[in-house]
Amino acid sequence: MASLELEVGAMALDLSMPILVVDDYQTMVRIIRNLLKQLGFEDVDDASDGTAALAKLKQRKYGLVISDWNMEPMTGYELLRHVRADENLRSTPFIMVTAESKTENVIAAKKAGVNNYIVKPFNAQTLKTKIEAVCGA
Amino acid sequence: MAPVLAQALTGAAPAESAAMTRHAEPTIATIVRELAAVADYIAHLNQEIGALRANELCRERIPSAHHELDHVVDATASATNIIMNAAEEILGSDSTSLEDYRDQVEARVLTIFEACSFQDITGQRISRVAEALSQLEKRLSRFVAAVNARDLATPPDCEEAQRQARRETLLLHGPQDADEAIAQDDIDKLFG
Repeated sequence: MASLELEVGAMALDLSMPILVVDDYQTMVRIIRNLLKQLGFEDVDDASDGTAALAKLKQRKYGLVISDWNMEPMTGYELLRHVRADENLRSTPFIMVTAESKTENVIAAKKAGVNNYIVKPFNAQTLKTKIEAVCGA
Repeated sequence: MAPVLAQALTGAAPAESAAMTRHAEPTIATIVRELAAVADYIAHLNQEIGALRANELCRERIPSAHHELDHVVDATASATNIIMNAAEEILGSDSTSLEDYRDQVEARVLTIFEACSFQDITGQRISRVAEALSQLEKRLSRFVAAVNARDLATPPDCEEAQRQARRETLLLHGPQDADEAIAQDDIDKLFG
């Protein structure tokens, strides 16, 4: 899967950084986990909604959060706002991966401080590009 | 329609109602006529409620649609798991020879083909749900037209009202049709 390899050298990406995938749909967690594994990331954790994710984020420092929007009880949008309001978490890179594809959602997420936004269904190349853009700088 | 009945059905203000009737005190004949009109209307409503066949909808059609959709969810989840297992096995293959690797890949690809057969069954189940929804839509449309139904400003069900408020506050719109959804390229421009 050479085409999926991240440009580690050029982008100074840390493949050992822990990544938190937040989605209430286990199949999607599995898909993203597999894609991240193909990209070279080995330390991937997951949570099934914003509340569980927030608890994990407070226990451990993650290098990236990849979150769905529509979850219960806490949505990805609420999680994003909590993360950005928390002094210890606010600098954590955050990518929204969601089926919410209205312009107002994208704008709201951007205003709340999301680093990038991917609309489902997405492909491996899109995920790769966004991770490079968010974490490679 | 009789004025008294008109007021009851249209929600006309008392002043309007008074204006309609102040020119003459109702006579026995007028009252009888209005009561006959009310009785006709009730008979008509009764007929329309019967045509709705709400018991059949609640007892058979809607539970059946739920049942079909549950099967679709189970079948798609099962197929997805089989396909993902096969794909993961291919990626994790530790074959030492090309021939062995090819055999393993071919076996997994066959599994993937077989798993994809779920689409035929789920397609038929979804067609049944669509047919049930179409029936429901037809009957409700007829009922709405027959009784000149008007919606309450807020849902009468408290839980539904809360769900609606949550959807609006947290921008939970769900997937959009292609012509309404923002394209990934346009999103990328926003994040330049």
